[in-house]
Amino acid sequence: MASASVLSEYKAPISAHFSPYDFNGGTVLAIAGNDFALIATDTRLSQGFAIHSRECPKTFTLTNNTILGCCGFHGDVLTLTKTLAARLQIFEKDHNKPMPTASIAAMLSTILYYRRFFPYYTHNVVAGLDEEGKGCVYSFDPVGCYEKESFRAKGSASAMLQPLLDNQIGGKNQNGYTAQSLTSTQCVALVKDVFTSAAERDIYTGDNIIISVVNKDGIKSEKFPLRRD
Amino acid sequence: MMSINGSPGPLWTGGPIPGQFYNFPGGKSDSNNTQRVRSVNPIVTGTSVLAVQFKGGVVIAADTLGSYGSLAKYRDLKRLLKVNDTTVIGAAGDYADFQYMSNIIQQQVINDEVINDGFGYTPKSVHCLLTRILYNRRSQFNPLWNTYIIAGIEEDQPYLGYVDKIGMAYEAPSLACGFGAYVALPIIRDALEKKPDISKDEAVALIDRCMKLMYYRDARALNKYQLAVITKDGVDIKGPIISETNWEVAHMIRGYE
Amino acid sequence: MSILAYNGAAIMAMKGKNCVAIAADRRFGIQGQTVSMDFDKIFEMGPHLYLGLPGLATDVQTVLQRLKFRLNMYELRENRRIKPKTFMSMVSNLLYEKRFGPYFIEPVIAGLDPKTGEPYIASMDLIGCPMETNDFVVSGTCSEQMYGMCESLWEPDLGPDDLFETISQALMNAFDRDAVSGWGAVVYIIEKDKVTKKFLKTRQD
Repeated sequence: MASASVLSEYKAPISAHFSPYDFNGGTVLAIAGNDFALIATDTRLSQGFAIHSRECPKTFTLTNNTILGCCGFHGDVLTLTKTLAARLQIFEKDHNKPMPTASIAAMLSTILYYRRFFPYYTHNVVAGLDEEGKGCVYSFDPVGCYEKESFRAKGSASAMLQPLLDNQIGGKNQNGYTAQSLTSTQCVALVKDVFTSAAERDIYTGDNIIISVVNKDGIKSEKFPLRRD
Repeated sequence: MMSINGSPGPLWTGGPIPGQFYNFPGGKSDSNNTQRVRSVNPIVTGTSVLAVQFKGGVVIAADTLGSYGSLAKYRDLKRLLKVNDTTVIGAAGDYADFQYMSNIIQQQVINDEVINDGFGYTPKSVHCLLTRILYNRRSQFNPLWNTYIIAGIEEDQPYLGYVDKIGMAYEAPSLACGFGAYVALPIIRDALEKKPDISKDEAVALIDRCMKLMYYRDARALNKYQLAVITKDGVDIKGPIISETNWEVAHMIRGYE
Repeated sequence: MSILAYNGAAIMAMKGKNCVAIAADRRFGIQGQTVSMDFDKIFEMGPHLYLGLPGLATDVQTVLQRLKFRLNMYELRENRRIKPKTFMSMVSNLLYEKRFGPYFIEPVIAGLDPKTGEPYIASMDLIGCPMETNDFVVSGTCSEQMYGMCESLWEPDLGPDDLFETISQALMNAFDRDAVSGWGAVVYIIEKDKVTKKFLKTRQD
């Protein structure tokens, strides 16, 4: 008895807490045009106040005319993109053609929902050309709910980017003005502006952006510097 | 939206954090969803691993201390593992988990060798393997409590990879884990920013300086370390090397008595 | 959910060339339920001095009454108009008095100096930590959205008309991406010789 009471005075060692998730920041943004789709990502990989990498883009080329933007927990990002790449390769071998953008979106939805009760902590957006060659963007929640849209920002600075896209692309709150579809050059300029603004206020967005434009000639990417602090 | 340290932010505003159940507004809350948690704390631990690329190779270093909480229990633990002639991995965190992982890797290397097809593990494929093993274990809520740094030569180019216990992985020209990410990494990055293509000797001197700094500032570090240099000529693991230290200014530090 | 987001609000202020603007949404709601669309969150504290109070509606009105009292006492004692910066200190002091049981509001102050006409804007947190800036301040339930808009739309030395357009667009597009603020807006453009108050019709969802 005596020893028990003495033992009880020893506190259990403070055990390190295990969380299977983390947040590694990153922002992606996609815009669908008439005959092109644009997707942009920043290249920062962070964890808390630490910057792990300044060269880690969150867009992934899936096929010749589809790109995925994927950010959140980087471990899940890696796993999800690996799974997707494998599934796309299987499809291509089976059907002797790459998977169309709309089908990739549908498949991504089921892959995400498969982990409904232990989700991939990822914010996804798929951009590409549809089977008529028109630009399209699909955005997803972490458990697979998805929707076809014409523009969408995802990730840590999404709340800063989205209202500006509503205004500048969607033509929201501009009486008497009907939104006209932008050219890819106009979109690229807008994307540079909004990311520069987001990098001012969001510590998880910065270093560089990589802007990829998909059109009938293939994918072209360009890099643009952001603030690095 | 996201908290700075530890837990990730909710999936949406007012929503559950990942892994938690969502209680629909107005619905009954289920308070009994306790999660099954298994071995979730490290016992004998190693501290930081430092690594940097140079022109034509990679340097990686780890000290030889195995800590048991705050007790400096083992003073000669080797935390660098030579996988083959192109790859070395360095491990921080639980030493038993590292030994378990070492067994898996070495067995894989043997399995791969008996196929005798002329292909072997490269740093990139070891990095990928470790990432998959660690991610798998974290998904079973039974993590291997380690951070690994993979150093080597991939297609004649220096390669450095990082992966932690939840399967978060990336590549970079300089890496450090644990306390080293705060103390040593800024110095290494600064050196690389001034001169991106440092020589082998400069890289070794840089890591040597940083290992000494780690010994001064990290209470779980030791002034005895191994240092591996990987070039296209193979792997050279030096050491244990003893850092010469100078405590002359120690008496000037006041306020912690 | 945070008490600060119980009723929902979006307020911002911007500096222009010899003028300032302050704008707010007009919704009063209880969590998801909208109760009214003509709720005042911006208050005149002097001829060129305006105060925006986003946060818990009951505290908005309490703090307003207490501030009005203190302001009246100040102006009676000193027999002159208060400077915006002095008023900011007054708000800050009032809030910090309740450091350990705070009012759940994060005020925004905009005004012109009564003598020099120098534009002034500031915001503070719920315990009175002030922040004075030279561009814009935002506060409320959609501050991230407002930061995104202001950071992109604002530029230095805007005249009153351009400033009105800028602040209106910034506010409307920001609160349209927030479920608990919006339902119309009010904008004050404060110039040396006149103050213009304009109501904005916006989408009602």
